[in-house]
Amino acid sequence: MADHTLPIPGAITAAPSRGAALLEWLHGWVVTVDHKRLGILYVVYAIFFLLVAGAEALAMRIQLAIPGNHFVGPETYNELFTMHGTTMVFLVGMPILFGFANYLVPLMVGARDMAFPRLNAFSFWLTAFGGLLLYFSFIGGFGLYGMGNAPDVGWFAYAPLTAKAFSPGHNTDYWALSLIVMGFGTLGTAINIIATTLSMRCRGMTLFRMPLFVWLMLVVSGLTLITITPLTAAQIMLLIDRYVGGHFFDTQSGGSAVVWIHFFWIFGHPEVYVLVMPAFGIASEIIPVFSRKAIFGYPAMVAASVGIAFVSLGVWAHHMFTVGMTSVGNAFFVLSTMMVGIPTGIKIFNWLATMWGGKIRFATPMLFATGFLFQFLIAGLTGIMLSVAPWDWQLHNSYFVIAHFHYVLVGGIVFCIFAAIYYWYPKATGRMLSETLGHWHFWLFLIGFHITFDTMHLVGILGMPRSIYTYEADRGWNTLNMIISAGGMIQGIAVLIFAWNLIDSFLHGKEAGNDPWDAWTLEWSTPSPPPAYNFGADPVVRSRRPLWDLKHPNDPDWKYEQ
Amino acid sequence: MTTESQPGDRQTATIQMPAPTAWPIILAFGCTLAAAGLVTSAGISILGGVFMLAGSIGWFRQVLPHEQHEEISVAVQPVAIASARALVDRIRLSPEHRARLPVETYPVVSGIKGGIAGGIAMIGPALLYGLIAQHSIWYPVNLLGGAGVAHWQNPTTAEIAAFHWQSLFIAIVIHSFTCVLVGLLYGAMLPMLPRHPILLGGVLAPVLWTGILHSFMGIINPALADRISWSWFLVSQVAYGITAGIVVARQERVPTDQSLPFAARMGIEAPGMMHSRADAGPSRDKDKP
Repeated sequence: MADHTLPIPGAITAAPSRGAALLEWLHGWVVTVDHKRLGILYVVYAIFFLLVAGAEALAMRIQLAIPGNHFVGPETYNELFTMHGTTMVFLVGMPILFGFANYLVPLMVGARDMAFPRLNAFSFWLTAFGGLLLYFSFIGGFGLYGMGNAPDVGWFAYAPLTAKAFSPGHNTDYWALSLIVMGFGTLGTAINIIATTLSMRCRGMTLFRMPLFVWLMLVVSGLTLITITPLTAAQIMLLIDRYVGGHFFDTQSGGSAVVWIHFFWIFGHPEVYVLVMPAFGIASEIIPVFSRKAIFGYPAMVAASVGIAFVSLGVWAHHMFTVGMTSVGNAFFVLSTMMVGIPTGIKIFNWLATMWGGKIRFATPMLFATGFLFQFLIAGLTGIMLSVAPWDWQLHNSYFVIAHFHYVLVGGIVFCIFAAIYYWYPKATGRMLSETLGHWHFWLFLIGFHITFDTMHLVGILGMPRSIYTYEADRGWNTLNMIISAGGMIQGIAVLIFAWNLIDSFLHGKEAGNDPWDAWTLEWSTPSPPPAYNFGADPVVRSRRPLWDLKHPNDPDWKYEQ
Repeated sequence: MTTESQPGDRQTATIQMPAPTAWPIILAFGCTLAAAGLVTSAGISILGGVFMLAGSIGWFRQVLPHEQHEEISVAVQPVAIASARALVDRIRLSPEHRARLPVETYPVVSGIKGGIAGGIAMIGPALLYGLIAQHSIWYPVNLLGGAGVAHWQNPTTAEIAAFHWQSLFIAIVIHSFTCVLVGLLYGAMLPMLPRHPILLGGVLAPVLWTGILHSFMGIINPALADRISWSWFLVSQVAYGITAGIVVARQERVPTDQSLPFAARMGIEAPGMMHSRADAGPSRDKDKP
């Protein structure tokens, strides 16, 4: 056979196959230490679990829609409310808010990345794997009812229900271990945010020129360091009780179940503020931009934020009025709880004062922020009602309490999360979310929310206890429960519209440009999405609204700010 | 923020950023596996330990002895920082805004006087109700102070109509304290009510208050709600409101700090703002030629 050499016309450049390109794209996300990518990962992860937790809530509402229903059994119902609560707090609320912080804090303070980028990646992956470990219990968890048992002890896992005698198997251990793993991730992120805020601000960005979102995240991160620690300690004590014969929470061996309640709520109540204060930060960024006015009372807002964090550390036992504390203990926690209303009231008045006289644009982010204002006020008022010990004795563990904290967590925090996504999605993707779908989302969600949770107050006052998987038809709760479930379905439809909007706008949305809202903080001075290095040149700021100064050179803020 | 290049600005063709690395995810995965091994099998924990070790070593090698970076080229991307709303409008404060902060108010003592007078006035309708409806002046007293009678468990009407000194004592304390507090509130509020303060504060407020209490009392204390005559209750509240309102409104008003200049309100001592003390010596201005 003759040996031929064939001439090749030009160099061959082999384009990577689709599979290889996909792998490379995935690899880029897995090994990233970029704060923006990690922020997006946090948010996507949380939105996924928001859908999961929403599905769990809807399953519970289908079960409760009519009396004596058999849609799910009691054991499944226990798993559903345990996983719904745990998911919403640890896999949705905290990750999404820390995700926003990850994405926004360096951009807002004019930094190129977080102070510890690798720790940042480590923290996210701990959170992600912790969540997966928790949900693996649906397959691998062995519990009272055999294999495939998710945790079923409630999101607060009161002792002695968590003792080996009452929670055999290890589905409760999945709950404790995953929360420990996620807790370390949360601590890492909190340390990172504090370090970034304190040491990486650009020139001119004094503490009192920082955007309020950054201030709130600084306060929240400090609060996180204080509150996650007792939770992690309690989880480890619980594991010692369950595995190596400890008696921390075993009342029959000299332990105390009440100690667990104290530990849990020393974490649990400040945790509410860990979740709600980033929402305050989001509202404090959105309301001024859409009112075309600077935030009213910036120093008071900062002081109120620090005040809320401080007071929130001394109110935990208002969850324990029915435990049987002394009169002095009851009185102290009644008064300390009521005190939270003071700094919170300052904030609400300042947001209203910001809107007063402004040229308000009700774009979707502002709609959600306005809904938040109204609903958070109601949530605060029912909170004050529940802070009164005799009132709490009547309504503790009733649906009134469920309605109250869903007003805080959904009416306050979830509304702000939606507002934030509509506001910063253009920055992260370069595409605008559809305003039409956004309005559909808002109005349906608002209507569904009020149908569900306003009615839930009534059924609570009528005596319906939480955590029951069904009820008898003669209790007078039938119609109200049907209404609550219908409202839940409307919210579910709204969230599906939102999910569709996210996907469709990413593919076909209008180009956003760098500053679609005519805003004032530093992130809007970068392209959308921002490059890996954030800023081509180090920014220098002279006021709290650096972009206002550039846009209005004849009337800059630095002329007036003290 | 400034756009001009300033001393210290770094405007370079490339920027150093932390290099991407897989070690954090490997370490996190190892930690999770180590924990998961406690509820699965020891082998999983051992595998987790291996990942943790590898992750830690890899991570250390990323940052020691020198942190690994990658150079990223700066892409020139035009960014427009401009507003379509170039005009800046200012909120104009008119004197009407000021009207909401009263420049004159009633002294604190007027609220106390009004509260005491109103408290005395409402005793009349309450006792009248007791006499007419239950033939006993002690009936309304015991409704208010019943908490002071420790042994009461679902008392009968006859028991409530009888005299109990503990109940009288508690009723006096509650009545006095509440009347004075509400009187103080009247003293603070009346100057801020835009017009017809007696009508608003003396009639409308008691009607609203009675309505709110009526709607809630059935939930808070159903036993008490069953025994209260709401029409008589309303009469006594209006008697309080009108009497307290009239007494407060007849007091002489005193200027609030709102009428003082800002410096004086803030407590700043400034020449010309206040009278010199007698022992302060001659004014410095007068010393000047």
